[in-house]
Amino acid sequence: MTATSTKILTGRMDAHPADSHTIERYLATGGYEALRKALETMAPEDVAAELKASNMRGRGGANFPTGVKWGFLAATEPRYLVVNADESEPGTFKDRMLLERDPHQMIEGIALSCYALGIRQAFVYVRGEYPRPARRVERAIAEAYRHGFLGNDVLGTGFACDVVVHLGAGAYICGEETALLNSLEGRRGEPRIKPPFPAVEGLYARPTIVNNVETLSNVPWIVTNGGAQYATIGPETSAGTRLFSLSGHVAKPGNYELVMGLTWREFIYDIGGGIPNGRELKAWIPGGASAPWFVPDPHLDTPVTIDDVGKHGSMLGSGAVVVMDDTTCVVRAAMNIVQFFAHESCGQCTPCREGTGWLQRMLWRIENGAGRPVDVDLLLDVSDNISPGLKWPPAMTTICPLGPSAVSPITTITTYFRDEVAAHVEEGVCPLG
Amino acid sequence: MSEWSAAIRERARALVARYPDRRSAVMPLLYLAMLTEDGDLTEDGMRQVAEHTGLTPAQVQSVASFYTMYKREGVGRYLVSVCTSISCMLLAAHDVLDAVADETGVPHGETGEDGTFSVEHVECIGACGGAPAVQVNYELIEGVTPDKARELCRWLRDGRPEVVFSDEMQALFGGQRSFEWGPKEPEGAVAAVPAIAHLGSAAGSSSPPSGGSPAAQPPGGGST
Amino acid sequence: MAERVTITVDGKEMSVPAGSLLIEAAQDEGVYIPRFCWHKRMKPVGMCRMCLVEVEGPRGMLLTTACTMRVNDGMQVDTQSDVVKKAQEGVLEFLLINHPLDCPVCDRGGECPLQDQTMAYGPGESRFVEEKRHFEKPIDISELVKLDRERCILCARCTRFSDEISGDPLIEFVDRGYGTQVLTFPDEPFASYFSGNTVQICPVGALTATPYRFRARPWDLEAVESTCQQCSVGCRVSLQSSQNTIVRLNAVDNDATNHGWLCDKGRFSFEYLSSPHRVGTPLVKGADGEFAEATWGDAIGLVADRLRDADDTRVAALGGARGTNEDAYAFGKFMRTVVGSPHLDAQLGDGLDPQLVVGVTPRATIPDLETARAILLWGPDLKEELPVLYLRVRRAAQELGAKLVVVHPRRTGLDDVAAHKITYRPGQGPAVLRRLAAGEGELAEARAALADGPVVALVGRPGLAEDPRLAEAVAAFAAGLPDAGIMPLERRGNVVGALDMGLSPSLLPGRVAIDDAAGRAALAEAWGADLPEGDGLGAAGILAAAEAGDLDVLLLLGADPADDYPQGNVADAALARTPFVVAFDLFLTDSSRQADVVLPVSGFGESEGTVTNVEGRVQKVNRLVPAPGAARPAWSVLEDVAARLGASLGAVSAEALSKEIAEVAPAYGGISWDLLDFGDGREGVVVPGPEATQPLQHAPADPAVQPSARDLVLHLARVLYDDGVHVRFGPSLARVVPVAAAYVHPNDATRLGLTAGTLVTVAGDRGEIDLPLGLDESLAPGTVYVPFNLDETSELGNALAVTLEAAG
Repeated sequence: MTATSTKILTGRMDAHPADSHTIERYLATGGYEALRKALETMAPEDVAAELKASNMRGRGGANFPTGVKWGFLAATEPRYLVVNADESEPGTFKDRMLLERDPHQMIEGIALSCYALGIRQAFVYVRGEYPRPARRVERAIAEAYRHGFLGNDVLGTGFACDVVVHLGAGAYICGEETALLNSLEGRRGEPRIKPPFPAVEGLYARPTIVNNVETLSNVPWIVTNGGAQYATIGPETSAGTRLFSLSGHVAKPGNYELVMGLTWREFIYDIGGGIPNGRELKAWIPGGASAPWFVPDPHLDTPVTIDDVGKHGSMLGSGAVVVMDDTTCVVRAAMNIVQFFAHESCGQCTPCREGTGWLQRMLWRIENGAGRPVDVDLLLDVSDNISPGLKWPPAMTTICPLGPSAVSPITTITTYFRDEVAAHVEEGVCPLG
Repeated sequence: MSEWSAAIRERARALVARYPDRRSAVMPLLYLAMLTEDGDLTEDGMRQVAEHTGLTPAQVQSVASFYTMYKREGVGRYLVSVCTSISCMLLAAHDVLDAVADETGVPHGETGEDGTFSVEHVECIGACGGAPAVQVNYELIEGVTPDKARELCRWLRDGRPEVVFSDEMQALFGGQRSFEWGPKEPEGAVAAVPAIAHLGSAAGSSSPPSGGSPAAQPPGGGST
Repeated sequence: MAERVTITVDGKEMSVPAGSLLIEAAQDEGVYIPRFCWHKRMKPVGMCRMCLVEVEGPRGMLLTTACTMRVNDGMQVDTQSDVVKKAQEGVLEFLLINHPLDCPVCDRGGECPLQDQTMAYGPGESRFVEEKRHFEKPIDISELVKLDRERCILCARCTRFSDEISGDPLIEFVDRGYGTQVLTFPDEPFASYFSGNTVQICPVGALTATPYRFRARPWDLEAVESTCQQCSVGCRVSLQSSQNTIVRLNAVDNDATNHGWLCDKGRFSFEYLSSPHRVGTPLVKGADGEFAEATWGDAIGLVADRLRDADDTRVAALGGARGTNEDAYAFGKFMRTVVGSPHLDAQLGDGLDPQLVVGVTPRATIPDLETARAILLWGPDLKEELPVLYLRVRRAAQELGAKLVVVHPRRTGLDDVAAHKITYRPGQGPAVLRRLAAGEGELAEARAALADGPVVALVGRPGLAEDPRLAEAVAAFAAGLPDAGIMPLERRGNVVGALDMGLSPSLLPGRVAIDDAAGRAALAEAWGADLPEGDGLGAAGILAAAEAGDLDVLLLLGADPADDYPQGNVADAALARTPFVVAFDLFLTDSSRQADVVLPVSGFGESEGTVTNVEGRVQKVNRLVPAPGAARPAWSVLEDVAARLGASLGAVSAEALSKEIAEVAPAYGGISWDLLDFGDGREGVVVPGPEATQPLQHAPADPAVQPSARDLVLHLARVLYDDGVHVRFGPSLARVVPVAAAYVHPNDATRLGLTAGTLVTVAGDRGEIDLPLGLDESLAPGTVYVPFNLDETSELGNALAVTLEAAG
């Protein structure tokens, strides 16, 4: 196999599909050895140092270096670790797999992280629509307690670590870490103004680290093999493997653990099996519904790395790749995404609450034959009042990036498919039927 | 105000005890309130949650109304949720939604008169690799076609299963999955509330949840 | 002065307080940044996004909200750039797309921040062609407030006020995103004592007050600043009238007292002033027992005749706590020099030792709460009796970290923010105090909390059935706490001012004890008259004397002892037995109805003068509208009565009286009306003023009150909306008066075999009353709580020991 097939996260589930989620299988495949190693031979700061050395960047979407984030954690007690398992970005289903298929890997990552950070209480915030993953995690936590990997005296070392599963209830915005913290506190999931950042003032206004499921699932490997080893995998600024969720008009949808650096063509055609039914590739979303779209010309032969995607005005985000073939009406697809963000806007800040709703209604008119010639420029100007300059990463008139995310498909379709949009307005119908 | 039974209050206290601050228990308590009312979040339910968290009912309503899964308008025996977000939309999710609405006679966003079905379209439920995806009481089925969706609705209407299990429905009505699911899950949903042991699921696991309370039995008499 | 930093705003350097919010710092230096959600008395939330400005950061200029950005040295800010202007224009456009633009029929039109800022920063035209959001048009969210969700711009000022300032989160955001709305819970109205504040701070016309709706247009209003007199906090207000009728009170922000807030009683009770039941003509009771209208000349002549005929010391006076200092001063001077009687009292047996009230040392002010490390509250439920002081204590405990210890027989509005709440049975106060002082048992932690100063002790009467001397004992304990300040709590609007003016048998004007020989001599010389010798009677003595037939004339200056004296039966009997009763009043009350002559006097907003609040802060009250009919200031009536008796009070005007007070009353030395003018940063003068001395220094001493244990004891305490005339004669507030009940702990109800709602008879040795039974888990077992002056509960009296049984 090529270098792209390195398996840090998915090796166990691929090899043992029948029982990869059980503690028996986990233990039989080296599970909790990293925790034992850390507790018995490493100081907490040594564990944190390995994370820093790994150069791993957070897998939740913002791609911020995890070791650096950990370094911001304020020293006052108590402190909390919150696992962001509120995976809700359209196109993303990788954390669901990690939770369902290898929950102990994440739990060991939690215990290791708590040890490294001097934290004794962790929460796993699982989205409400994931009861099956949540059940698997809850049972795995119970197993871990029974085996002494969690609790008041982990492995007899005096290290204490408790984990509580908290179920969300249908709000995409809770994937934003401060909204998640509000939700976990029993409030509306409205993002907070930053600063202060959670590492200083997080859950219950205490220092808090919020990490994604995939991020934490990498921690056991890093502790076992060393951060330096991890840093050697893939391009320097996109270290490690990455779970990509591939969906849409593609022959082989699914989750793929890849070393970054391959090209989009290789990913979509070689790994994803190309576009089914003899259709052509029209566009794809490289990093979840928030990301501006890519099109074959000029993006198909650019590398799949955090930096390269950023350089081309989009982001690798949550690793969700949604492929659209040439039968796709871009106005309809954009409307679908804008509608998503309008539906998920928390409503606290004006430009997002009012702006996403306005954009959605304009797109609906255009898609349904009631567009006016002025609407295309109006779409862009209203978008500009949410996301000034219409660039990526966005400038924002909003509190959080949800509003600007709704603008991404609009800038895309008016940039790459302006004629198709104009045809909707001029002909009063969708040219694709 | 109708008060919770002693057993439900005990479960509520156990949920509160999981958190450093009792306000944090609002969300699980709202689910508990729904389980006691066959999936509906009633005004009395919100008042009970307020009582247990030290909030005003207005504060509880404010929280509850933020999240789509707390059904203040009531919900049927089976909540059929069809994902229509981008990946599912690209693979004709709207045809699945139309099929469900047609087969059940319940337009999306509504609950049928006989209380059997509620039909809704939902935003991404993390099953994009198995699009289009459907949930029944939050139990997932991937790779659903319009025809299979109709069969699913008929199976629910005719069989009226007490508990719905994801694996069973996937086997009967599903297709392409996002990934290999692994072995069957022992727990299923008794109402339009996500099934998880500490909140209440059917065929509950023997493992105690981390909070230390015993594995929950479904309230309100529902069981396998 | 706090540390300052230098920032540059729009090219202009300014020195501003370090750590302050940019929006506030810039405003203080003359740069106004538009805003809707930000309010200086609430935490910033950055929600409306109207205050977006550009601030230089490590990666160039960054759009950020000025209300959430704290200044730091060298900060570069642009509030005028093209990016800022477009962002602000965009925000306004977003706010307007779903706004109904019904300004012509909106109460807020003409004084609407949304309207004003649209003029200043708005886009000029709307590009929104979609259908606007619709909600049911104004819905009643309480008896006093209506909500129009179409006008709402979701700034969350109202919801945040209710949650973080007043502590009753009854209105909240509901739903989310484009569908977000503000709403109450079904069947749970926005029944907050502070709801009117949300109307005042609403930046649009979404929240409107029922008493003001459609009463006036803002540009037609006349306004004057004044000092609220509904309780003794003395909140600064703007009185507003249309066509010579007061139609609205708004709060005026100041640091000293109210921080821009009011309670609803203060805000909405003005309606009583224009009640058709106001007395506008002197009334004289005929032989048939009916009142007949009389001329001022006839009425005053009759009063003068009866006073001339009476034995000096068989004349007594009650009241003065509801008027101005000038009224009170004239009243006291009248009694002591013209009548020659020492029997006068501004309190009605429901207050504290007057020497403690005016003379306590060390004394605390309201702003001392801002720096207190600990607060001891042993007194009334502030939410019911001194609502805005409740807000200030709440802020100190919740926002400023003061440790609050509350001692009260029942739950109070502050329990949720108290570090320690001590609930006790009335009668056991002395024992609780002894144990608290010693830090015994479960009170050890509360005692420890009070070991960290500065400590502010708020000391008053928790209830009217307990020994009033308990407050003196608490004050004596508090005086020994580190860096302590004591605030004696009195409720009635100008009771402290009235006591300061000498309306007490134990006080002379200006905080002089009655037995202060030098003070007496100085006053006698100034007045050119001998002061009456002998011990004067207080309210209890006066009413007892009257009941015994030992009085010829009783003067009531805005006093209603039949309702306000804790033993209503005694007051009724006293009024009935007294041959000649004169009432200076606005209404025929349960007391003035029993008078022989009623002299109509001007009320709040109808006359000017000074008042003194619970801290001893002297502030102005001003005149905005004429008094109805022939009503006029009490001092001028008293001057005319004096003239008939061949004397003069020198009362030619309120200001002249005020000047005399400044000369004659030592603690009021140097307080002129110039000093009391309203304006930014002007906050009245706390007595004694800078040029004055306070002769009476009262160091509280423990009077060694003994605990009293009975099977069933009474907790008799006031609620905010009671049967007082200001509530009864204001239609809006009259609707929200609760129904009286007798409350016991559920266990007591079980023990007594009674259930909630049963009609019970509560009896003490001073009266009895039938009330429905209520349950209250916050009471200590063995306690019966009865709200005072509600549905005739004054008839029960204030005996500590009571019995309770099913009504027969």
